[in-house]
Amino acid sequence: MNLSSLARLSSLSTVFASRILNRSIAFKPISCSSSVSVPHAPTSLNPNLPLFLRPPTFTATLSDLQKWQNWAKTLASSIGSSFTDSDNGPDSEILHRELNWLIEDALQNPKPLLTRNDSEHDIVLQLRADLGDLYTLWKQRIEKRRPFQYIVGCEHWRDLVLSVEEGVLIPRPETELIIDLVDDTIKQNAELNEGLWVDLGTGSGAIAIGIGRILGDSGRVIAIDISPIAVQVASFNVNRYNLQDKISVKQGSWFDPLIEFEGRVAGFVSNPPYIPSGHINGLQAEVGRHEPILALDGGEDGMSDLLHLCNGAALMLKPGGFFAFETNGEDQCLFLVDHMETIHHDSFHNLKIIPDFAGIQRFVTGIRI
Amino acid sequence: MAFHLVKSCVKVWPKTTALSPAAPVPLRRFQIRFGIIIKGNDTTSIAPNRTSLFHYTTSVDKIPPISSSNTDGGRELLSMSDEKLMSQCEMDTYKSSGPGGQHRNKRETAVRLKHIPTGIIAQASEDRSQHKNRASALTRLRSLLALKVRNSIDLETYTPPPELLQVLPPKSTIRGSDCGPQIGHNNPKFVLGMQALLDLIFAVDGSVADAAKKLGLSTGALSRLILSDDSLRQAVNEFRASKGMKPLK
Repeated sequence: MNLSSLARLSSLSTVFASRILNRSIAFKPISCSSSVSVPHAPTSLNPNLPLFLRPPTFTATLSDLQKWQNWAKTLASSIGSSFTDSDNGPDSEILHRELNWLIEDALQNPKPLLTRNDSEHDIVLQLRADLGDLYTLWKQRIEKRRPFQYIVGCEHWRDLVLSVEEGVLIPRPETELIIDLVDDTIKQNAELNEGLWVDLGTGSGAIAIGIGRILGDSGRVIAIDISPIAVQVASFNVNRYNLQDKISVKQGSWFDPLIEFEGRVAGFVSNPPYIPSGHINGLQAEVGRHEPILALDGGEDGMSDLLHLCNGAALMLKPGGFFAFETNGEDQCLFLVDHMETIHHDSFHNLKIIPDFAGIQRFVTGIRI
Repeated sequence: MAFHLVKSCVKVWPKTTALSPAAPVPLRRFQIRFGIIIKGNDTTSIAPNRTSLFHYTTSVDKIPPISSSNTDGGRELLSMSDEKLMSQCEMDTYKSSGPGGQHRNKRETAVRLKHIPTGIIAQASEDRSQHKNRASALTRLRSLLALKVRNSIDLETYTPPPELLQVLPPKSTIRGSDCGPQIGHNNPKFVLGMQALLDLIFAVDGSVADAAKKLGLSTGALSRLILSDDSLRQAVNEFRASKGMKPLK
């Protein structure tokens, strides 16, 4: 397979992708639109500034906030383990923890609400969202199962706080490990440390930013995503970490934006869609109802994009170049390694399957010969 | 060194193992729990404290006891780099049922580290990222190693090691001016001094007066130092309780 046929294949999925994408845009939050004050934003790229970055232009008394907090706690408690039982969703304990995080993000000084001391009830606190919006947001969290990360507009990932919103996959804790895998590799190989890295399907830009922060001075990252929202959000995150000179975010389908770099890429990483289509319906509501299906559905066996990536890695990587892909688990890992050993037996060596912290075989890595 | 490095769980890619019987299962914020493994019926050195932040669980297990026969073992452990120490640990995450990855939206980022040579377990769940919980768990592990792994001391020839001198107040008569300013309990180096201090207190059977003499301090000044750190105070008081002595207040 050559690059142009790869590109053809992926443009097919583009059509599919934009359809899905439009659907997920329809979920656009009604949240806090009154409080978005673009002039204060670091850039105007991101239509939804994360809650914690918004200016504290709203106020409420402590007693009104406590009333909201008690209402929210009661709502969370009423869930018990019913979400967990139905689709492995969050239980009350996790929801209570999320409520505290919402308070941390929404209040300039969350202390009076989070500690049980005898503050005066009529003191006025400054908020980054209207109190009415906080009611709406928590209702969405519980009743619509809207992911907590979309509620607050960010996810804490490694030592980063990344902006996320509907249309962009929320980075997962498992994926944090890819940065450690890359770190181990570049420590042993200075050429890779100063080379060109590619993150395909970058989403929020998490992996690209994680790598951008550990590469040497002349190391560069290209982060690619087909979704215009993902490109906006990733660019916003790249700028926020002041990495715009190191990371370029490009919109395009898989390898299309990379044709000029064929055979010159030092490292190639991706967390592509890998869930088999048949499993999409049974996903936890936070994921299946709210996250972009484009970023989750990997085709019938979940392997369409992964196989595409493996073939691409053979073309794009320079000799000695490194790749790391996240997968759905052991079956996909074994299949990929087998595929590479048979189809690309003269292209790769040092193929490895690496488990995540829960012990699930999660990543495939290898070196281009 | 008497510890065995278990190479099969080396590096940051450990396999999950079943929770040992010593590991309490429920997990809450801001809690550290760990199992301490004790030989046979020798339970004298542990006094559970229900009100404390630390929960001690005892059990008989295959893992060898933490004993003072491991000369310098504890100090060696604490001076290891994060990577080296991590290589002696099994790490797993909680609620890892199901396929994980893209399937799940999990704010469950809790991390549990089990230090294989000693069986000590540290965990962290209060942060919003797993990466940071891992760092917190490692810091806690260091603190627990300092509290739980004893180095044997020969009192006849004892001179306090530099890491202990550094945590002493300036009025100590044996603390030279080359020690620099006193290291407080927020400094990561404090655990090394804390460990050395506990080694001495165990060696003098819990007598603060005897330990104070070795350190050129008044009994009151050493008591104040011990009371300044919650976990240090607790470790000393639990040891004193096991010797039938009154707790420091």
